[in-house]
Amino acid sequence: MSNNYFNTLPLREQLEQLGKCRFMSINEFGDGVEALKGKKMVVIGCGAQGLAQGLNLRDSGCDVSYALREAAIAEKRQSWKNATENGFVVGTYEELIPTADVVLNLTPDKQHTPVVNAIMPLMKEGACLSYSHGFNIVEEGMKIREDLTVIMVAPKCPGSEVRNEYVRGFGVPTLIAVHEDNDPKGEGLALAKAYAAGTGGHKAGVLMSSFIAEVKSDLMGEQTILCGMLQTGSLLCFDKMVEEGIDPGYASRLIQYGWETITEALKYGGVTNMLDRLSNPAKIKAFDLSEELKQIMRPLYNKHQDDIMDGTFSRTMMEDWANDDKNLLGWRAETAETAFEKTPAGDVEISEQEFFDNGILMVAMVKAGVELAFETMTSAGIIADSAYYESLHETPLIANTIARKKLYEMNATISDTAEYGCYLYNHACLPLLGDFMKGIKTDVIGKGLDLEDTGVDNARLIEVNTALRSHPVEAIGAVLRGHMADMKKIV
Amino acid sequence: MNIRLDNLTVNFDDRFQLDEINWQLDDAQHWVITGANGSGKSALAAVLAGAGDTLSGTLEGLPAKVGLVSFEAQAELIDRERRKDDADIMDVISEGTPVHEILSEGDRNPQLIDQLVQMFKLESLVNRAFRKLSTGESRKVMLIRALASEPDLLVLDEPFDGLDAHTLEMLQQYLAGLVTTVPMVLVLNRFDEFPEFVTHIAYVDHGRLQYQIDRNDKQAYNELYQLLHLKTTDLEVPGADPETAIPRLDPAQPLVKLNSINITYDGHRIIDSLDWTIERNQHWQLSGPNGSGKTGLLSLITGDHPQCYVNDIFVFGFQRGKGESIWQIKQFIGYVSTALQWEYKVGTGLRNVIISGFYDSIGLYTKATDRQKKIADEWLALLGMSDRADTPFNKLSYGDQRLLLIARAMVKHPPLLILDEPCLGLDDMNRQLVLALIEKICAGSETSVLYVNHHAEDKIKGIENYLKLEKREPAAS
Ligand SMILES: NC(=O)c1ccc[n+]([C@@H]2O[C@H](COP(=O)([O-])OP(=O)(O)OC[C@H]3O[C@@H](n4cnc5c(N)ncnc54)[C@H](OP(=O)(O)O)[C@@H]3O)[C@@H](O)[C@H]2O)c1
Repeated sequence: MSNNYFNTLPLREQLEQLGKCRFMSINEFGDGVEALKGKKMVVIGCGAQGLAQGLNLRDSGCDVSYALREAAIAEKRQSWKNATENGFVVGTYEELIPTADVVLNLTPDKQHTPVVNAIMPLMKEGACLSYSHGFNIVEEGMKIREDLTVIMVAPKCPGSEVRNEYVRGFGVPTLIAVHEDNDPKGEGLALAKAYAAGTGGHKAGVLMSSFIAEVKSDLMGEQTILCGMLQTGSLLCFDKMVEEGIDPGYASRLIQYGWETITEALKYGGVTNMLDRLSNPAKIKAFDLSEELKQIMRPLYNKHQDDIMDGTFSRTMMEDWANDDKNLLGWRAETAETAFEKTPAGDVEISEQEFFDNGILMVAMVKAGVELAFETMTSAGIIADSAYYESLHETPLIANTIARKKLYEMNATISDTAEYGCYLYNHACLPLLGDFMKGIKTDVIGKGLDLEDTGVDNARLIEVNTALRSHPVEAIGAVLRGHMADMKKIV
Repeated sequence: MNIRLDNLTVNFDDRFQLDEINWQLDDAQHWVITGANGSGKSALAAVLAGAGDTLSGTLEGLPAKVGLVSFEAQAELIDRERRKDDADIMDVISEGTPVHEILSEGDRNPQLIDQLVQMFKLESLVNRAFRKLSTGESRKVMLIRALASEPDLLVLDEPFDGLDAHTLEMLQQYLAGLVTTVPMVLVLNRFDEFPEFVTHIAYVDHGRLQYQIDRNDKQAYNELYQLLHLKTTDLEVPGADPETAIPRLDPAQPLVKLNSINITYDGHRIIDSLDWTIERNQHWQLSGPNGSGKTGLLSLITGDHPQCYVNDIFVFGFQRGKGESIWQIKQFIGYVSTALQWEYKVGTGLRNVIISGFYDSIGLYTKATDRQKKIADEWLALLGMSDRADTPFNKLSYGDQRLLLIARAMVKHPPLLILDEPCLGLDDMNRQLVLALIEKICAGSETSVLYVNHHAEDKIKGIENYLKLEKREPAAS
């Protein structure tokens, strides 16, 4: 089987790679797509990222075509339709790869090894191979031909957002990296920058990072706060509400749309703003609950980070790949059978504020998850900027997918790797929170606090506010959101 | 009192005609008639005082005593006095009829006359000849005549015009004191002059009574305010920003040249071998039924259609598919459509929505310059939305959003402004608003307008080129 690249590095090198992260100034993108002018870009795979990135790059003036596997062309699969209906040239590997100056590998991570093995011999001497996620290089230790330049341009958003934001005249935050073992001509950075500009990413903020930092932080974020916490939280909150006699339709709606509504506040003003949306007594309640949750869940977050760092996670997942995805498919089917998933959102009106007032526990879960993921990542050597993007920043985006079609939609939108990690987390976290949930009543999920007593202790409120505002994720968040300037006054 | 106008068409010496007026005025209602200059608002008021020749329809319930004050009535009286002078010219030089005689003509309450003379501070003028008075003074005389006749209906056409602040306030108070005794109809041009007691508003346009609005219907009231503002304001389309200027185009080349264009969806050809050239300074109207490919064709021009890379398209100096970016194309185009409005779901303030037009973005991602802010504010003033510069866009009514998006599209003075069914989904009032704005734009800029509508007959002044698309049935391809 494969060799974990990260594990082959000496500790000094590991730490250096993990700590690599610099927020780039927009001025560094003054050349736009110049470095890609006259170059032929060939995208492999035309799925979520492949189509969105290709459309953006072409609209930015780049020469883009698609190489699809033969079966996809012969059977006129969705990927083939995506590419041809949008007027792109589509061809086989043999037809297109030899002409490519840059090959964009946008197939599912699971397929990277066979895909790269198939295309590498066809690639032009000195061409560039790019990824949008470094799993293949870092966790599988894929060795790329020495004459090839290897870069990564990873949008920190689902493909649909990548396209929509570009069309709006903006972009999504993007992480770029150059694989130092494969930068023979020293042009990796210039190509990665031009590619990021071509997708519009430079307008929203680009982090110059490393393959390793990207993989280790991406995996951590997606399996804990982003997907795992939302899945576990959805199931626990729903069951609790129904158990307490709340109308299932109401409970279903409160959760399905609640994550999106409360994390919208997170997107604009961080954890502080999300909690500021609550009344004072509710805020203190949410704070206390989240402290408790953090204490219970911290070992789980640590375990996820440890397993990611030492390769245990990717090894077990790859074993499942080799075992025809037995676990993944089983867990997926299980999720589809949960009560939350099977109960449609009731036809009731819930006002924006009500989602906060009646979802205090959900707010507490988001806060606990964001802070824990951030704290765990940074203590493992990942730079705060990176940890912010992989935790707080992406939470609202994932929450949007749940609003669309519940957990099914979330798990269908995220990568298989994220989905696998999400289930792992969920299975560990559900029992972990069993005792905690016993003490939960409808005042914090479903009905809201009894408003007859709205008094709070001043000293306690000040304490809570200070604690909220002084968390390190708030400090870096303020800086990074500030970089996006007047940005995204989008609601 | 209950006055009813049913399908009433009235002619005024062939100079003007009111058409098919349906209107009912009840007791305890006080109306304002408003409209742009020349709309017929004064004519409608005059009808209530018996003016004009009825061609068809009926007018019922007019009370016996109608007190009328208007420029026309005033002019008539002055004219009568002048003719009297002419008749006397051979004789002694006449001083003309003194004011007190004019005031007491007919059946009027003498005590009330004295009281009003005092109130209007005309005591020193009662012995002066009427025709020697200034316009403002003779207007006051007209008002006193009307009020002292103790009418059953008071019709006052622009009664506040030319009055000093003191008199204006006094008159408004006086009228307010009459609300329970006399129904009133006021012709007024300026919303801020509408007295509190007015209960209904009639809006007249092109000789027709277009809208009747209950004062309490806040939304309709606001829309009417805006419409009147756009129709009557002297403000012009604000200029471009010299600092964010669009690159100059080669004047010898057309703006757009499409050669044998095809658009195909799922094997069905929507547009087949179409040639189309838009030259500079041409205004075009594009029409055709739903599904005839209008929007597809437009998006080939704007660069939003993926098939623009497989067609022979020349736009603003670029042959498409040769390494240009869509932002290089979009900078030359202002664009408004319902789809854009759906897409533009942002909480951005109105000023910033307009500024986003400089960057062709949805939402604003760049710090605006002071100059851009100033231009945006001028647009807001033109639209009558100055007081809402920081209101979030998504809090606006549908019609207001449309107006704002048109301003956003025009703010950079693009060589080509595309209005894709700009009135779609709007009620009549908002349509009027949008059309008023478009006409202002057509008149006040060098932008070529491409107006898309599926009704070919819905024409805009100033457009002289037409392209009509037909729907292609699948069998035909
Ligand atoms: N989704 C995200 O939010 C996100 C964000 C950032 C980065 N990324 C990264 O972007 C990459 C692509 O992810 P995605 O979400 O866009 O994947 P996706 O939507 O599943 O699309 C994958 C595409 O690859 C093709 N494909 C599948 N197996 C293949 C094989 N064995 N050989 C050749 N082509 C194959 C598929 O088409 P056919 O099956 O028709 O051939 C499909 O068009 C991954 O590296 C992922 O980590 C994803």
